[in-house]
Amino acid sequence: MNLINNLEFYLVFSSILFVLGLLAALTRRNAIGIFMGVELMLNAAGLNFVAFQSFRKNIGGGDWLHGHVFSLFIIILAAIEAAVALAIVLRIFAAKRNIDPYAATELRG
Amino acid sequence: MSAYFVQSAVGKRLPRMGDWVSIGAIFTSFLLALRIFIAMWTAYDPNWSVSQSWTWIDLSSPTFGPFKLEVGVHLDNLAAIMLLMVTLCSTLIHLFASGYMRDHDGAPADGYRYASFFSFLSLFTSAMLGLIISDNLFTLFMCWELMGLCSYLLIGFYRDKVSAANASLKAFMTTRVGDLGLFIALLAIYWAVAAVRPEGGSFRFADVYAAIGAGAFNGQLFGLSAAFIIGLMLFCGTVGKSAQFPLQVWLPDAMEGPTPVSALIHAATMVAAGVYLIIRMFPLLEAGHVLVVVAYVGALTSFFAAILAIKQTDIKKVLAYSTLSQLGYMVLAVGVGAYTASFMHLITHAVFKACLFLSSGAVIYAMHHIQDMREMGGLRKKLPITFVAMLVATMAISGVPGLSGFVSKDMLLVSSLAYGYYMHPQHILIPILGFATAAMTAFYMFRLIFMTFFGEPHDHHHYEEAHEVPWYMWTPLVILAGLSFSFVFSGSLSGGLIGKADYILGEANNWFTHLVVPPVIEGVAAHGGEHGLAHWEHVAHGPGMILSVILAMGGILFSFLVFGSKVISADKLERIWPRFVQKAIDNLYYFDWFYIKVLIQKGLMPLGVKMAKFDDFAIDRVLVDGTKDVTMVVQRAAGVTDDVVVDGVLVDGVGGGIPNAIGASLRSLQNGRVQRYVLVAVAAISVIFLLIGVL
Repeated sequence: MNLINNLEFYLVFSSILFVLGLLAALTRRNAIGIFMGVELMLNAAGLNFVAFQSFRKNIGGGDWLHGHVFSLFIIILAAIEAAVALAIVLRIFAAKRNIDPYAATELRG
Repeated sequence: MSAYFVQSAVGKRLPRMGDWVSIGAIFTSFLLALRIFIAMWTAYDPNWSVSQSWTWIDLSSPTFGPFKLEVGVHLDNLAAIMLLMVTLCSTLIHLFASGYMRDHDGAPADGYRYASFFSFLSLFTSAMLGLIISDNLFTLFMCWELMGLCSYLLIGFYRDKVSAANASLKAFMTTRVGDLGLFIALLAIYWAVAAVRPEGGSFRFADVYAAIGAGAFNGQLFGLSAAFIIGLMLFCGTVGKSAQFPLQVWLPDAMEGPTPVSALIHAATMVAAGVYLIIRMFPLLEAGHVLVVVAYVGALTSFFAAILAIKQTDIKKVLAYSTLSQLGYMVLAVGVGAYTASFMHLITHAVFKACLFLSSGAVIYAMHHIQDMREMGGLRKKLPITFVAMLVATMAISGVPGLSGFVSKDMLLVSSLAYGYYMHPQHILIPILGFATAAMTAFYMFRLIFMTFFGEPHDHHHYEEAHEVPWYMWTPLVILAGLSFSFVFSGSLSGGLIGKADYILGEANNWFTHLVVPPVIEGVAAHGGEHGLAHWEHVAHGPGMILSVILAMGGILFSFLVFGSKVISADKLERIWPRFVQKAIDNLYYFDWFYIKVLIQKGLMPLGVKMAKFDDFAIDRVLVDGTKDVTMVVQRAAGVTDDVVVDGVLVDGVGGGIPNAIGASLRSLQNGRVQRYVLVAVAAISVIFLLIGVL
């Protein structure tokens, strides 16, 4: 029952989330779905940071809150990136009327 | 030799068809020979010699040992005398030929071929001279073969006559058979010499003599000594070239050639080359005890040829058989060991035989090319100079004292008597044949004289037209006849029995016998042979000389009785002999029949045809079927391999499939889908992390 009190739990958990997000990003046929996966990956990484920060005292460290701060950065960046990504998707849709990534293969070859 | 090249190239266009080129060249050679002779005379030493040799081919190698072919020039007494004789006779014959080969008006008889005739004469003479001066067997053999070629060209000079063409081929082929033996002997000699000489084998006479002394030829083969076999093979060359039994068949037919050719080749020079060879190689023959065989061959040839000569009707054929007979004498002399006598007879015979042939040529020319003696007669009034010259030469050949032939023949017969009666009585046949031949020689030669020059002319038309030949034709005759007197050779008119004419040259009278002696070899005991022979020669000299004179005179007298005064009938004489003897003589002892009908037509030609068929068979099978099969198999294999390899390369993918696969797999990476790219990137990163973790 020491599961929740171990760092490993949160690392594994964030890894699982990351992999799930990766899977989602790689296999979805919807541009927004891909973006959802990316969001998931980012947040999993942020969770990783927070986990490390939370267990800093047990491991050994100081008073600084690097992890928490960095996770804030991640959220902000995620938001910005979402805006940009959605703008791109809107442009693509306007050009192609289709947001299937398989249809956007002009860079092929 | 340069005359040959000049003459054959431009002779046709030179004035007088260029005969003066050849004549000038040979005369120059004569002057040179004269100078050499004088050098020899002033030295007056049996061992005088001048020699020079060069290395022609040098193929020495560490694996096979030394192998050098050294050729060069060697002039000694023998060569000097012979050179003089050959050049003199050749010059005179060239001069004679310039007249003979023309019509009576002076136009060349055969058009442009007059020039080539002289070119051949020059080539031939150069070969003969080369043979004489060579110091080794190899160049001797080269010149030997060259003379064979020239003999072929010259005998067959009248190309349009079938008989001439056949005769020239016969001459060449028959001598070739003998040359085979000579060639084998040459090879054997080279290796025998190589066995005892640290520098390797050699063909030079000096080296061969030394090798004989060193015992190089003492090996055994099938129980016969090596020297015997080699000597025998060497003698084969002489048998062929000098027309001894059994290869004598070509010489009578060789009379198809123009008379100057007969004079040069078949009297003075080429046939003498065979005798020259055995004289040079005398030490080898002596060491091998071949000389007995040589003597018998010579005696038999001499005797049987003389018999045939008695019955001939063509003037040149008589002379041909007499040449055979005299050559037999020379060979016989070498066989009994009379080195000097043989050589002297060679020289004297060359002179008087050339004289005889040229005189007969003059007769033929005067009679507009009639050669049958039965149509001649009484010509001595019409051709006086020719008659005298021919008479002198005939006396020489018959052995009348006072002429050169007597001296040499006498020496020869005395030696044969010494050998066959005193020294080795079991060989009594040799002198018997020799003396019998002498009698017959006188008989048939004077028969020729009587039939041609005496009596009533049988062909009146030609007789009326006959006149003496021009100066350039009788001059050679006179010169040669003059040289047929005996004082040229031994300073006495009677060979020493009656008195010596010392006042001419003093001590140098016996110059010939003094200067020409067989080479002495260290290491070879003188077999008692030489000493024994010399001793018995003294003993036999008296009886031998008396006998030969009696026989010669008897022969002449008998001939006069039969042909001159016709007291005894020739026909009756002929009928004494049994039928088969007559027929045998008429058919030339069936030699030609045997050689041509039996040996060639029934034996060698079918063999040749069979061999040709076999050869064709082998060639056809090998070339056509074999090579074809092999080629086809190879080609099919190549095709299949090609297909497999090429197709395999293409199909199997070494060059095609693999890149295809790789390409296909790689291509899929670039399908334009972003997600694929990201997947690849993630996979790569995870691999890197793994590796970093592992390492």
